[in-house]
Amino acid sequence: MRNLAAILFTGGLGFLLLVIASQLDFGHPPMVVGQEILDVAGDQVGAANIVTSVLLAYRGIDTLGELSILFAAATAAGLVLGHRHGDAPSDPEGGFILRAGADLLFPLLLVVGFYIILHGHLTPGGGFQGGVILAAAFFVGVLGRPAKGLNHDVISVIEGLAGAAFIGIGLWALFLEGEFLKPMLDKGTLGDLISAGTLPLLSLALGLKVGSELAGLMTSLSDTEAREP
Amino acid sequence: MTNVILPVVLPLLAAFLLQPLARLSGVVARLLGPLVLLVGLVLLLRLWFAPDTEPFTVALGGFAPPLGIVFYVDQLALIFAIAVPLFTLLFWNWSADAYEDSQEKARQDALMLLLAASATGLALSGDLFNIYVFYELMAVASFGLVVLRGTGPAQIATVRYLLLSAFGSVLALVGIAILYTQTGTLNLAQLGQLAPTSLHGPAGLAAFGFMLVGFGVKAELFPVNTWVPEVYATAPARIAGLLAGLVSKLAVLVVVRLLVVVYQDTAASQLLLVLGTLTILFGEFAAWRSKDFPRMIGFSSIGQLGIVFIGFSIPGPWGMLAGLAVALHHLLIKSALFGLANRWSGSLESLAGGARSAPIAAGLFVLFALSLIGVPPLPGFWTKILVLTGLAQEGSGLHLMALGAILLITAIEANYLFRFATKLFSTSDRPPASHGLMDIGAAVLIGIALVAVTIQIDPVGDRLRAVARQAADREAYISTVFPAEPTIAAREDRR
Amino acid sequence: MIDLNFVTVLYVGAIGLLVIGAVGLVMCNNVFRMVLALVLAEAGVNLLLILAGYRGDAAAPILGFGPEGAQMVDPVPQVLVLTAIVIGVGVQALAVAVLVRVFHAYGTLDMRELKAHFEFELAAEKTTEPPRSTEEPAGGRPLSPVPPRPHPGEARS
Repeated sequence: MRNLAAILFTGGLGFLLLVIASQLDFGHPPMVVGQEILDVAGDQVGAANIVTSVLLAYRGIDTLGELSILFAAATAAGLVLGHRHGDAPSDPEGGFILRAGADLLFPLLLVVGFYIILHGHLTPGGGFQGGVILAAAFFVGVLGRPAKGLNHDVISVIEGLAGAAFIGIGLWALFLEGEFLKPMLDKGTLGDLISAGTLPLLSLALGLKVGSELAGLMTSLSDTEAREP
Repeated sequence: MTNVILPVVLPLLAAFLLQPLARLSGVVARLLGPLVLLVGLVLLLRLWFAPDTEPFTVALGGFAPPLGIVFYVDQLALIFAIAVPLFTLLFWNWSADAYEDSQEKARQDALMLLLAASATGLALSGDLFNIYVFYELMAVASFGLVVLRGTGPAQIATVRYLLLSAFGSVLALVGIAILYTQTGTLNLAQLGQLAPTSLHGPAGLAAFGFMLVGFGVKAELFPVNTWVPEVYATAPARIAGLLAGLVSKLAVLVVVRLLVVVYQDTAASQLLLVLGTLTILFGEFAAWRSKDFPRMIGFSSIGQLGIVFIGFSIPGPWGMLAGLAVALHHLLIKSALFGLANRWSGSLESLAGGARSAPIAAGLFVLFALSLIGVPPLPGFWTKILVLTGLAQEGSGLHLMALGAILLITAIEANYLFRFATKLFSTSDRPPASHGLMDIGAAVLIGIALVAVTIQIDPVGDRLRAVARQAADREAYISTVFPAEPTIAAREDRR
Repeated sequence: MIDLNFVTVLYVGAIGLLVIGAVGLVMCNNVFRMVLALVLAEAGVNLLLILAGYRGDAAAPILGFGPEGAQMVDPVPQVLVLTAIVIGVGVQALAVAVLVRVFHAYGTLDMRELKAHFEFELAAEKTTEPPRSTEEPAGGRPLSPVPPRPHPGEARS
């Protein structure tokens, strides 16, 4: 009975969506806001990657909200998973390939992650993408040697300070120019590494925060011990 | 005036810094949260008491709409933005229990601050995707707060709430995607401008339906309110009070903004009316059958929110006033009832004889119950009358059905609320424990506020009428966001 | 013409992912599979959002990337999807964290068993009658009432 109801519900949903989709105009979006942004973004913000200029300048508040969501999820997960006692037994070490591979990958992933973060305003990429790669760099090491773990104190300090730096840059713009998260500093020439004002700084803060947060979250997930009965 | 961004940003900053700060100094960490909320409250109250009540907009980042995101601050937004830090402070966890991990209190406070920041942002925002982001932040913060007790049932309730809420968010995003495909913008005012031409057909109505169901998860709308009894029974009572009172109102505000600014046609209002009627029937019948106190007031809250939706589905300033009045009344009453529920968390039988051990609480409960049912001269009477007369004025079949439903559930409300009250005042061998100072304090404050509103019902009513008239004025909204803008078509020609 | 069909296939694919996710969420009994179905549904919606900005034969929205004067796709849906993906990751991570705790507490991830545990323990806590009487004979019901048993996860605080 329940299966029948479920099939009917999802069948109805799928049919509704297909009907809706058949009414939409494929391949020709209205481009009301999009076209205008494409026209002015290069001059107003100065970043070659227009997606990053929308992410960090035009819709900066959305990005702030998004990194708060990630922070809230990591904090809530930390609350749920609890504190790990130092003397609890941990998983056995990974095999030789995993350990050696982790040691080899760590510097490579760090470099790639920072590259993607710092070039976020020039090529596809940015704070989130690079931050996830940074988190992977640290987590692969934890997978290889679970006993070493990560220093959660350092992680939470980096997380907090990076997030505060993001808001701090916005508040600095608020005090100096009267608008929160207005792009400051010199725009520079399009296509240079140092261009687009405060956008690379925001990307860096974003990348560090996301990286440390995800690394901490994944480590505490793998570290969770059973509660005492 | 751009300081209106601070009540949103400062709690975020404090939340980020709380955990490192807690390592350095515990006292500072405990005081930072309430301090930041107080600062936000003062800033917003200054705006509320300013002589100029015209709505204004703040373009974030200095980018004019529709390219950037705009905060639209009118009296309606200010009422709810002020309610956020007020009620968060009221329900703050001041206790100094010993925590296993020194970081635990910091984490809890950070989640409360994130809830407050996102709720304020939700009240003020004028951009659809910004609303979605703040809504998600509110949801994730509430997931963390609901699972606070750490008991098995709490975790199961959290998982079900999380899955339902996440699916609702997926549906809301589908609605936003359809909307974007039709209109190409996310700014509420511009959507309002483009709505008559682009959102007229079934695609537009389907987008509204998806967004209604998606945002309706927090607003306890039928059919996505199955999480309510489980969560309210297992979460700490003050968190349940925050969710039922504050968070649900903000979700309702989102739907109202969509309805007023973007979807002026009757089909959307009718959909809201039908779902609202189903919500109240579902909620009140379940409350009638429920056996423990938190679930009883949880279900009753579903019912009241259904009345709020029915009120808002009445077109024009009358509907806005009716919905706003019921919403504010419910905000007060439910928060107080959940404050009482902190100690009265058992089954209804076990609370027999409560009047002997907690006379103030029992008296307050009777006061709140009378206002909920709608006994004159308490404010609840005026709010219900507004909704009923509005429905009678519309006169169509659906509206009269909703009218009958509201009358029916008023009778049911009277039944189960007085059933509980007689149980409270009966004699019993094992009366329940009396309340702590904190729980009673919140309820007493709200009770005093309720009586004050009863005495001063005329000025309060007039102020609310002005707020509702301003909020229902769609043209004013669009012209405030785009001051000297001709229509989109003219802008296209200029290019 | 070729372009239009390609986009149509993508649209149908996005909606298909969404429907598969919805079916999984409603019909699965294992809570972890529900979370995976949620992941699929979110992937479908993200694809739908990106398609809202797609223009045939247009270049990526990076200045200096495509040929001079080329049309570019709409950058706004890409930003929306970036945000939505990160939100989804956060919610899924939190869901899995709570699931880990639930598994430690009850030893099972079957939704029906968990619901039975929930009702039983809640009834015990609130001193109300559990919804199913334990005196009835157990035959003919899909799941027998789960008796309270000591489990590792006890109430904190």
